[in-house]
Amino acid sequence: MSIQEMRRISGEGGRETFELIIGPVHMETENFSIIVTVEGDTVVEAKVNAGFLHRAFEKLAENRTYIQNVPLLLRVCVPDPDHAETAYSMAVEQLLDIEIPDRAKYIRTIVLEMARISAHLFWTFGMSAAVGLYTVGQWSVADRERFIELFEELTGARIYHIYNFPGGVRYDLPMGWTDKLMKVVNYMEKRLKEYDKVFFENDILITRSRGLAKISTEEAISLGVTGPNLRATGVPYDFRKLDPYAAYPYIDFEIPTGKYGDAYDRIMVRRREIEISLNIIKQAIKELPSGPIMAPIPHPLYYNVPPGDAYARVESSKGEFGFYVVSDGSDRPWRVHIRGPSFIHGVQLLEKLLKNVRIADIPVVLKSLDNCPPDIDR
Amino acid sequence: MMGFQVLETSKLLNYARARSLWIVTFCTGCGGVELPPTATARFDFERFGIISTPSIRQADLLLITGYVTPKTLKRIIIVYEMMRNPKYIIAHGSCPVNAGIYWDSYNTVKKLDLYIPVDVWIAGCMPRPEAILRALVKLMKMVKEGKALGWKRYLENFEFYRKNQDRLFGKDWRKREIEKLRFYIHD
Ligand code: SF4
Repeated sequence: MSIQEMRRISGEGGRETFELIIGPVHMETENFSIIVTVEGDTVVEAKVNAGFLHRAFEKLAENRTYIQNVPLLLRVCVPDPDHAETAYSMAVEQLLDIEIPDRAKYIRTIVLEMARISAHLFWTFGMSAAVGLYTVGQWSVADRERFIELFEELTGARIYHIYNFPGGVRYDLPMGWTDKLMKVVNYMEKRLKEYDKVFFENDILITRSRGLAKISTEEAISLGVTGPNLRATGVPYDFRKLDPYAAYPYIDFEIPTGKYGDAYDRIMVRRREIEISLNIIKQAIKELPSGPIMAPIPHPLYYNVPPGDAYARVESSKGEFGFYVVSDGSDRPWRVHIRGPSFIHGVQLLEKLLKNVRIADIPVVLKSLDNCPPDIDR
Repeated sequence: MMGFQVLETSKLLNYARARSLWIVTFCTGCGGVELPPTATARFDFERFGIISTPSIRQADLLLITGYVTPKTLKRIIIVYEMMRNPKYIIAHGSCPVNAGIYWDSYNTVKKLDLYIPVDVWIAGCMPRPEAILRALVKLMKMVKEGKALGWKRYLENFEFYRKNQDRLFGKDWRKREIEKLRFYIHD
């Protein structure tokens, strides 16, 4: 921990509590800070001090046309931008009342699952650093590079691929791309067994995270937690099944759930999701139809959207990611509201879970929730 | 001032400094997502002797990886002033240059150069790991030749930088920041 300040705030009756400020110059908190009150080695109270990344997306989106908003709004979630652009595109498609072609649906599914895998691999890096097993971090970032390379071939960019557009996707798959993807998928499947040996079934990880920071299903639902953190408590709650978008209705897959809702369950749910995503990619490649990739949109650069409002949501690697777009009939949105997953499990849930946790376990709790500070601040 | 003269002209010291730049782990903004790939197995900047260290006092390179909001800028200035001389800054992406895509946002800093001295700029949104490596190598070269003098500029023009910082945050912002944190804790 680098910037830390310890201050004594009370000392009656031999009981001493200190305040400890963790972050933002810290390896684990990334870009927000937590102010914890500790007694001895145990956290009594925790408060999150977010807002280091506030860029006012919701205001900026009102000054840009619907098309210009795609490259802007995908920057909300940095490790996993594809889900943001898809959710926004889906909201605009609802407003325009268009249905995207079948091929675009399948390509979207493939791209979204690749994005999910790379986000989870990126999270593995952070998780392994929180526990101190750096080998796995080196592996997982290097393996993520294989997916990033495929993204680069498909879209031209490494991280912010402005690819899912209102009306479909921007480019068709290049020649031989699916074969390369299959190779990477097969490689990844073999590789996951090694990850298991070194990391996911490692005694150090299990002893450090089993039984840590438990939450029950009712608590999680009352706070509004979604995504893997909710699934770890035993509820198969996933918008890919409940409110299917893209090509998910045609694809057969299961949803991993945990049992106890503790940190280890959250870790294992994410690990199993990588496996399932690999399966989804395989199926989607097999059934990939041919045809157009873009539904006709009124104009490639700007168009007026009929008045009304729409809410579209996707299951991102962190939870429900939704966009609420209100249109007044002009070429710019009247209001865009972003519902990010991390705002809930990165602030409210984290403050709750950090109670009675030892200082050394703070990074493990934090990383097991997989929050994304840019999405908290927006 | 005598001390600086000696440090600046010593070739051996410059060589040693260029070969072990340590980075503060402070990822501001989106560019932070390209740092792990640059640091780990594929691109690997550790072969240049660059390591990211969690301690500010031991580091001599600060990477500003993206847009800077006023709230972050306060931390950046505090971190920069806590680092020991000589120290260098690389600004990463088009956001530090002119706020990039957030040019009309009310909460981003438009010109980073007014508040802290930057040695090397990288253009691009977001810059590729190769570009980051290239900037690092360029900084190593500059340090070796004794040309990366941002830290000296900061000392000589301290009034200028301080005046700009005060204009953005108001006078006594350090004291107020600490009081705000107190308030935050006790409310
Ligand atoms: S330059 Fe681009 S990638 Fe870098 S911080 Fe700005 S928007 Fe993000």
